[in-house]
Order: sequence, then C-alpha cells, then structure tokens
Amino acid sequence: MKPIIQEIYTCILEGDANLAREKVQAALDEEIAASVILNEGMIFAMSEVGRLFEEGEYFVPEMLISARAMKTGLALLRPHLVAADVKPVGVVAIGTVKGDLHDIGKSLVAMMMEGSGFEINDLGTDVTPEAFVEAVRAGANVVGLSALLTTTMPMMEKTIQAITDAGLRNKVKIIIGGAPITTEFAKEVGADGFAPDASQAAKLAKSFIG
Amino acid sequence: MKHRDRVLMALNHETPDRCPMQVSFTPEFAARLAKEIKLGGDQLHNPHGGGNTYELERSLDQDMLLTSVGWANSYYQDAEAYIDEWGVGWRSVEYTTPYGVGRYTEFSHHPLADDQAIHSYQAPDPNRPELYQDTEWVLKNFKDEYWIVGVVVTTIFEAAWALRGYEQTLTDFALNPDLIERILDIPYQYHLTAAKKLAQMGVDMIWTGDDVGAQDAMLISPKMWRKFLKPRMANLIAEVKAINPQVKVAYHSDGNIYPIIPELIEIGLDVINPIQPASMDPARLKRKYGDQLCFWGSIDIQHTLPFGSPDDVRTEVLTRLETLGKNGGLIIGPTHHVQLDTPMENFSAMIKAITETPYPKS
Repeated sequence: MKPIIQEIYTCILEGDANLAREKVQAALDEEIAASVILNEGMIFAMSEVGRLFEEGEYFVPEMLISARAMKTGLALLRPHLVAADVKPVGVVAIGTVKGDLHDIGKSLVAMMMEGSGFEINDLGTDVTPEAFVEAVRAGANVVGLSALLTTTMPMMEKTIQAITDAGLRNKVKIIIGGAPITTEFAKEVGADGFAPDASQAAKLAKSFIG
Repeated sequence: MKHRDRVLMALNHETPDRCPMQVSFTPEFAARLAKEIKLGGDQLHNPHGGGNTYELERSLDQDMLLTSVGWANSYYQDAEAYIDEWGVGWRSVEYTTPYGVGRYTEFSHHPLADDQAIHSYQAPDPNRPELYQDTEWVLKNFKDEYWIVGVVVTTIFEAAWALRGYEQTLTDFALNPDLIERILDIPYQYHLTAAKKLAQMGVDMIWTGDDVGAQDAMLISPKMWRKFLKPRMANLIAEVKAINPQVKVAYHSDGNIYPIIPELIEIGLDVINPIQPASMDPARLKRKYGDQLCFWGSIDIQHTLPFGSPDDVRTEVLTRLETLGKNGGLIIGPTHHVQLDTPMENFSAMIKAITETPYPKS
C-alpha cells in the first residue's frame, strides 16, 4: 500500500475529516487512480471501522465521525470516479418506514453501506411504501427498511407487499433492521435478510450483490 | 398490605405478599384500558405527567405513583405541531395498530443545532412553584398508601440531544467535547434542581435516567459515559441523598448497559430500570448484582406483550418472579409504556399473573 493511501486509511479510521480531504487531494495530485483511493483507502478503512464496532471497540460516535471523514473524502473523489467510469457495487434505497422517525440506525447503515462501495438513495424518515417502490423503479437493487417501534413494524410487511404488487420483488433484495426486529420476523414478512447492526447490514448487502 | 410497604420491603430485599408492580401506558392504550374496565373520567392520560388522576394505576392495584418534573413532560403535549418551553419543536406522527390509530410526538426542531445558539439560549426556570403542584397533590393524597416516585428522567443526555440533535450530540462527544459539556449542563442543572426539590417535598424515590444503551451494546463507550455522564449522575445521587438519606434513586436506560452497572452501583444507585430482556439477561443481572441492586421492569414490550400469547405473558411474569424477584429486590412491570398494539388479553394476563402470584413464604 502506498504511504498516502495508508494515511487516508488512518484519517478515516480516526475520524479526521479535514485531514482526510487533504490526503485524498494529495493522492489525486499524485495521480493515483480514483478506484485505488476508494477501494484500498476508504472502503478498507470503513470495513475496519465495522470490525471495531462489531468487536465493541468502537461505538456510535466513533462510527459517525469515521463515516463523516469518509464522506468528506468521497465528495472530493466522486467526480474522478465518474470520469473513470467506476461503478458502485449496487444502489441501496434506504429509509425508516412510514410512521417511524427514528433514524440513527438507518443513517449508520447507510453510512456503512456507502463505505462498502454502494450508492445510497437515502429516502429519509417516515417513508411511504410508494416512495420505496419508486426508488426500486429508479434503479435500486437493495432496499433497506428500518423501524424502531413495534407499532411501525407492520409497515415493513406493507412496504414489501407494495414492492411485490408493483411486480418488482425479483429486482431487489430487501434487508430489514431496527431494535425489535429479529431474523424470524424478517422471514415472516418476506424480507431477504435481517442484520443486527450497521456493519453486518453492509456485509449482508454486499453478499446479496456480490 | 399497604402499597408503599410492599415496595419498601422489596427494595430492602425482603419478600412482601406479592411482587410490587408499576405499569405505565401511552395515552391511546390508557384510553382503551379505561373503556375496558369502565372507568369514568375524561382526562387525558399522559405517561410523562401533567394532571394525571392515577385512577387507572390505582384501579389496577399498582404500588407506585409517579410524578414528573422536567423536559420529559414535553412528550404528548399536543396532537398539532408545537414548541415546548425549551424551544424544542415537536410534531405528531401517526401509526396504525389492530386496535386503532395512535400517535407519537417526535422532534422537528433542535434549538441548539447551531454551534452559536448556546450563547443566547435561556433554559426554563426549574424553581417555578407551579411545576410542583401535581407532586404536592399526589403526596398529600396518596403518600400514606403508595410509594411516590419523583421523575426527572431524560436527566442529562436525552434532553441535551433534544436541544442539540441526536446525531450531532453523538458527534460532539467525539469532536466537540467542550461545547457538549456546556449543553449537557443545561438539562442537568435543571433536573438536579427539580430532583432536590422533589426530595425535599418528601417523595420516596427519585427516578433519573438517560438512554445510553442500544439493543445489543452501549450507544457510547463506557469511557465516554465516564467522562460526560457519570460525574453528573454521581453528584445528583449524592445531593439527593444528602437531603434525605432514606430516599432511593432509580436509573433508567433502555438497551444493553452491562459495562456501566458496577459503576452505577459505585455512585450510589439503588434501582435499575427497565431491564429490557432482549438486551440484558435478567437472571444474569440478579446473579451478579442482586445483593447490591434492585430491579424495576423486565416484562418485554418488544416481543412478548404485543406479539406473544397470554400464556407467553404469564410464563414471562412467573419466570421473572422466580429469577429477578427471588428474595425480593424487584418491582415488576413492562419495560416501557404499554403501547396501543398490545392485545388486552395479554395486558390482563400480565396484571393477573403479577397480582395473583404470592411470594413463597420464606
């Protein structure tokens, strides 16, 4: 690994957004390929962030600032990725289901998925089934549904049903998550999978696409 | 047996006639329940306080009555959008259950979202006499019979994130510690004043708390908790107990908070709430901390109460009485307000199992 790529990796791991921007610019100035900066610097770093989170070394604040550093670098890198025709590994449409406004979990999942190379269509909170359907029509191949409340869990099934009714169910993989969600519930409502945390959600999405 | 004696015995690790019980409800479930048990009265029930008559609590044979002063009272204030006295903006979001439509109040505006806003921010005054009228009333009318709890939950962290925004507060912990210390101090000072006043007025227990647990792990590291929250919580407990050494202190955090329990005991905590069973194993907690700590809650509202059968509910209650409640030390109840999605048969099974199961004679 080139020293500058190692430095980008470290900035993201430590959540230093300003330095991450500086180092990504330096890497671009050295004419390192955008795909190398992305894969060997950023995605590698976010995968380590995920590992540290799963192992209980990192908590939500650490994950948030690493993701912020990654996003800062990515904003600078994006035009170069487009110019070099580097495609995302997939497109994820993600949101909290209708009636649910609790979005920290959803945001962390979106960040970790972005950090594993996905393009994110973040639909936000209180998202109607129709909006998810539209996002699939627009090209998402993974859908992420989030709910914190038992009272909004039934909306997950309704959203999946709406995607099925629109004839789009075989075009997407659907992942669900949130505090009260279990693997059994995911099976019951016809989702493709459940992940207990953001890091595992990103891995699951990648396993579906890869 | 008097309700308050039942609670006091349990908190002294003795076994009363049955396990003491505390149950709260969302306004929608309360209305449904009032209809079910044919209770009169047209007052809206707010689980966070404000004009509660305690009719429901008393008719269910509950043992503790709660009276709340603080930011948490901002929940459920109105079905329309509103701004509370802290400047936090709220709006209602509807959900649908098999038993009707309900609503939760959710944030729409954080007054300290901007870094500069703190310079001109004026917190509400915790010394206004009207804040304590409900408490005065409940103490006067019910203290002889019931265990009275002064509630100052959302004590530091939760009210701070309402002021600042959730993600921003968590980010500040890592990147802007000086600013977040100042913001944490705003609700902390308010709730400290309220807790001291409630202790002076004669409540039996102070209920403090902040959600620092997520479903499977802590939200923030134990190290951050030690830096930002533990010293304030330690001081609050010490100040309240300096006013009345007999007063008990309970602490609420949802989720998994295994790593900080020994330190909560170290700073003088008496009771931990709500013991979310999908996040922390009640039997393990009793084994490890049962002689130093009492427990409050433990009946699962994420799975058993809304989605289980009445038999599941009954089994869970009996299991808790045998594990967490062994030799006292437990105030049993659901881990949060009972929600509208709970079948009435499940609710009744819970109440029946709790109130009709005597403690074995020791």
